[in-house]
Amino acid sequence: MAARGRRGRGAAGGAMDVTVAEFIRRTVLKVPRSHIPALLQAWGFLPAARLQALDVRPLKEAIAEAVVQLCQENSASIKEAAVLDIVYNHTFQNKRVWTVYQMTKATGGETDIFDFTAFKRKFKRRIQSSLINVTINFKEFEDNAIWIRIAWGTSYTKPNQYKATYVVYHSQTPYAFISKSINRSNLPLLCQALIVASNYGDIREMELRSHCLDSLKDIVFKRYSQTFQTHHPKPLQERNVAPENVDPRLIQEDKSEKERIQRVNQEVFGDGPQPKLEFAQYKLETMFKSSPKMVNVSERESFRCLVKFSSPHLLEALKSLAPAGMADAPLSPLLTCIPHKARNYFKIKERKGVLAAGLVSP
Amino acid sequence: MAEAAAGNPEEGVLSRLEKLEARARALALKQEEAEQQQRQEVARLRARIRQLRRRRDELKGKVSLQQAALGRREEATSSGAEPVPTARVQERALLQWKVETVEAMLRVFYLTGISGKLTERGVCFCLSTAYDGNYLDSYYLDIVITQPVRIHRHSVPIFIPLKRIAAKYLQTDVRCFLATLSAHLNAYVGRKYQADYLQKHFSAFLGGHWQKNSLYNMLAFNYDVTTESSTFPFRVKLLYGDLDRSLPTEASVSCKEDVPASLLEKAATHSSLFMNMALHKAFDTFRKAAETPDNTEGTVPHWAGQETFLTAGMGHLRFSKSQATWMREIGTSEHQAPGLCHGQLYLAPEH
Repeated sequence: MAARGRRGRGAAGGAMDVTVAEFIRRTVLKVPRSHIPALLQAWGFLPAARLQALDVRPLKEAIAEAVVQLCQENSASIKEAAVLDIVYNHTFQNKRVWTVYQMTKATGGETDIFDFTAFKRKFKRRIQSSLINVTINFKEFEDNAIWIRIAWGTSYTKPNQYKATYVVYHSQTPYAFISKSINRSNLPLLCQALIVASNYGDIREMELRSHCLDSLKDIVFKRYSQTFQTHHPKPLQERNVAPENVDPRLIQEDKSEKERIQRVNQEVFGDGPQPKLEFAQYKLETMFKSSPKMVNVSERESFRCLVKFSSPHLLEALKSLAPAGMADAPLSPLLTCIPHKARNYFKIKERKGVLAAGLVSP
Repeated sequence: MAEAAAGNPEEGVLSRLEKLEARARALALKQEEAEQQQRQEVARLRARIRQLRRRRDELKGKVSLQQAALGRREEATSSGAEPVPTARVQERALLQWKVETVEAMLRVFYLTGISGKLTERGVCFCLSTAYDGNYLDSYYLDIVITQPVRIHRHSVPIFIPLKRIAAKYLQTDVRCFLATLSAHLNAYVGRKYQADYLQKHFSAFLGGHWQKNSLYNMLAFNYDVTTESSTFPFRVKLLYGDLDRSLPTEASVSCKEDVPASLLEKAATHSSLFMNMALHKAFDTFRKAAETPDNTEGTVPHWAGQETFLTAGMGHLRFSKSQATWMREIGTSEHQAPGLCHGQLYLAPEH
């Protein structure tokens, strides 16, 4: 690797840091071969003519080498490498786990005209006032999303480019999406910088986590399909229904029940696609209700229990439970309130005075 | 058994075997009898079912015959006394028509912009938005009538200041609340429509460096101005200070310093143009000016005649006076009638 660096320094176009070259090389290696041309084009740093000349040869190592060579000719710095990393993570955003944070205004103010330059400046200033060794990069995408990449270092070490934190922020919304980085000690500083830069007063972590960033945005921005009662009929969707050869003497005994289940399901979940979540976790802190015969567990203590639902697509799975006959319709409101309450981690405590378990939001 | 064992052991065993054989045979016979009895029972029950079915069909036939006879008898008696029953029939038909008209009116009421439906706990409002003769998205508010009135669910985008408007008006004046919210939503979709239309249809004019935000109340981009000799890039920054208007409150057009004076005054005119006209209309005038420099304004086609058009999103709703029906055409033509379109609803009595 060092040899490559030395080789690079002799090429025309100026020197490029060895670490930068290595970082770019490793980033390109992470990308599946078919996506490499599109990704490099979205990066927008390398000239288009050279990009077209770059052919996607069988070995990814060779492609990565060629890209690094091109970058050296164009004197890429850590800034461009960081932008490449942002573009990579934007394309493959569902590989990370995103947590939603909600910001609240200390005082009710007018919706300001969002100034991106001022935002960047305030954010950088707040972080760099506490920590010098950080790399901060911004990139704005078409859907008004601002991606912020922060590589953390300490007072003694340089920023670790391979363990960067990503923040996605949409202007004029009180939500920020942060991908969980392993080092949580820098999180308070990050939150501080966010609220300072976006003119909010307070920030708190919501109990909403998922891999699919778009679904999280759908839930908090209220873009998912909800059913509302209206007079005007929605256009019917075409569904492939195979014509049934029904013997008129056969009567489906539970036809009305099936229709009721369908109707209730549609009222709760709506017609459109559900946001994609992978988990729902319920932490029970309720008392153990036993029959009088079993006196093993003391009734004073709360019975600690954790129920976790996991699925590749949890809400679609819940939607199909009742029609498949595996659960009663309507489903428990604990399950169906997930998009509405915008959370998938719940703590269930005793409702005072009533035997049933109630929902408590922390 | 004991004496048989004491006497001759083989005889005892044989006799035991014989006894067992006899017992087995008896059991088999009994089982066969039982099965036969069961079969007979089943056959008897089946016959009974067939009998009952026949009886049921007979009775059904009798009932229907009687009903028909009753109906005929009624008609026969009523044919004697003409006016009263037909008046009743007429009344019923009229009532039916009234109900259907009201239902149809409710169904299309969302075209007015603010419509609602009573729910068990309150009202569900639907705010439909439109801009420039196009119907755009609808947003819903589920309001629960408790003390205080509160919004249970909604599909209003997060960057619209719903909480602020609700805090101001919801408890005191619901009409004002809905009107303000509707104005905000309409202005937002109007601004968004202008920006998207511009990017889609006037991309030849635009230079790039788009800046916008979620509410579309700040828009900045470069565009090219062509004169006889060359093209100059202008940069315009539009600020929409009033969230319930789709025209900017501030439009600053800037260009590089080394431009002729004529272009500087052109920048000023452009600036005032952007303040008073929708974005895509402004660029339309630029395009017309570029194509035919003498022509100031094109003629606005006049929509007259029996049919009036309303474009709605992906399709066209045509309300025709001649026919008593309204047809829905699925078309994706980009043609729009400039200016406002008026639609009139005719619901025929026979329908």
